[in-house]
Amino acid sequence: MLVDFELIKRAQNKDSAAFNEVVLAYRKRILGTISRLIARSEDVEDVAQEVFLRLYFSLDQLRTPEVFEPWLYRLTVNAAFDYLRKQRRRQEFRMSDLSEQQVLMADANAGSKVEHEEQTKKKVRESVDSLLGAVSEADRILLMLKEVEGLSLKELEQIYKVNENALKVRLFRARQRVLKAFGARGKKEGPG
Amino acid sequence: MSMRGNEDEKLDALFRAYRDACPDPEASANFMPTLWARIDSRQTFLFSFRRMANAFVTAAVALSIALGVYMTIPRSSAGSPSETYVEALAEANPLDNPDIVSPAARVELNAR
Repeated sequence: MLVDFELIKRAQNKDSAAFNEVVLAYRKRILGTISRLIARSEDVEDVAQEVFLRLYFSLDQLRTPEVFEPWLYRLTVNAAFDYLRKQRRRQEFRMSDLSEQQVLMADANAGSKVEHEEQTKKKVRESVDSLLGAVSEADRILLMLKEVEGLSLKELEQIYKVNENALKVRLFRARQRVLKAFGARGKKEGPG
Repeated sequence: MSMRGNEDEKLDALFRAYRDACPDPEASANFMPTLWARIDSRQTFLFSFRRMANAFVTAAVALSIALGVYMTIPRSSAGSPSETYVEALAEANPLDNPDIVSPAARVELNAR
């Protein structure tokens, strides 16, 4: 927990200063999670504000402060899912061609190490975003929370409020689909 | 999970690289002011909605009372107010001509 229970209790009683502290404590983490879940940097703050807005108006429904973090994650997941559902448009990532071009451009520019690293990171981001296009928005979020955010099955169980076995099955299927896309892309790109 | 293959490991590595490639972004200076503006705006909306809902409930209660009062006022055109349905039926079908009596009972009545 990044904050103590007392602060959450004060925020529950509509104490603005306490709520501010809670937001400041979790803001960076929530922004990071959302940026990886929705993969659109320009909308990250908007979705994060929506999360904290929902938190403000539903905080009084939280019975035990101990479950605050899974609950906040649940709000985050729901807000990200709503955003993705609204967007609905699956971007057609022409990943490999585009990245090759960018890498070539970077090389042509005889770029510095930093530039090269930035290009590599961009390539990785595009690659994962493209692979996750193989699964639904809901599964994308689930996979992200497990594989990238590093949440345990226990934590996911608290967030999704479903049993561990159901989560395992869903994760396995989603991962298999991503692996299939990963394998297919590997074959297309060829060895090396 | 012991059957994890080469592809699995590569995918895990890609996810790890993705985590490193997407650091937690910093919030802009406007984050908190915008958040509080949105909270205030939502609160104003909820307040207006609640006021409208209260007004609607009050109007509905007033209308119900008015209708209740209207229904209890006796109306002269409706005949005798104390007349019940059974009384009205009996008046329409006097015992001299009892259509509502069974044939056997009618024979008995005629024999008298």
